[in-house]
Amino acid sequence: MQFDDLPDEWKEWISLTPLERLRRSEQIFADYLAMGGSLDPDPDPTSPFDFPELWSAGASHGRAGLRVLRRGAGEQGH
Amino acid sequence: MGGQACVFYGAAQVSKDIDFVVLADDQNFARLQDALGRLQAARIAVPPFDSEILQRGHAVHFRCAADGTEGLRIDVMTRMRGVDDFSKLWSRRTTVADDRGSEYHLLSIPDLVQAKKTQRAKDWPIIELLVSIHYRENDTSPSAESIDFWLREARTAELLSQICKRFPSEAATIQPQRRLLQTALSGQMDLLRAELDEERRTEQAKDREYWEPLKRELERLRHGER
Repeated sequence: MQFDDLPDEWKEWISLTPLERLRRSEQIFADYLAMGGSLDPDPDPTSPFDFPELWSAGASHGRAGLRVLRRGAGEQGH
Repeated sequence: MGGQACVFYGAAQVSKDIDFVVLADDQNFARLQDALGRLQAARIAVPPFDSEILQRGHAVHFRCAADGTEGLRIDVMTRMRGVDDFSKLWSRRTTVADDRGSEYHLLSIPDLVQAKKTQRAKDWPIIELLVSIHYRENDTSPSAESIDFWLREARTAELLSQICKRFPSEAATIQPQRRLLQTALSGQMDLLRAELDEERRTEQAKDREYWEPLKRELERLRHGER
């Protein structure tokens, strides 16, 4: 990927200083948490660190911040 | 060294955890224990926090509970596949200081690229972006080290072709070690894309092979803790 091929949002992000990126990232992260975002890792079957133990207890699919509201017809209920 | 370093460099916008590579040294482990204690960081999952286990290439995972850090995950490693030892990483680190006096010590972009050459699919687009960012920031009057880095690690056909055209003699020198540079030099873009994909798959296979005995050990440890 070359810089010119990136979307404008990414070009703007990269043009910031490292500290500006850190501050904005902190804000994005705070907003994410305020909306109920999870700190658990995203499931990644290609990762050697894809352990269920890393997910918070009681979370839907191991991911805190997500609740199952309705299961699809093809899914097994628990 | 991981996602947070990518945020500093511009290759990511947010990371949900913090990854540290630390010096494997008794005195340093004592300092690390102290820091983890202040964060009220409890180990989660296997393996246990043990210097010998870290030295075998494992990562130890923690979750913090101190005020302001509740739920934050921290991963600690002392060595990674294909990455130099800590003293070399430290000597090449990037340090960013903020206006509050805090310093952030990051793996250099070339070292971070090596660390990101994993079996995980999500790491490879980040490598592309890190190399692209490094090229953009250093292409005006590049050092020999930068040119070498780009020729060895650029992962998109267009960027690699551009670099090869700009530095043909350097590309010819490195070509015996990265054969697809010959394809880049010849401008066969579709073939180059296919060879870049094959190179990535080969590297991912090496990482899976590296982790196979470590994963078996993790399984043994997991059963032992039940």
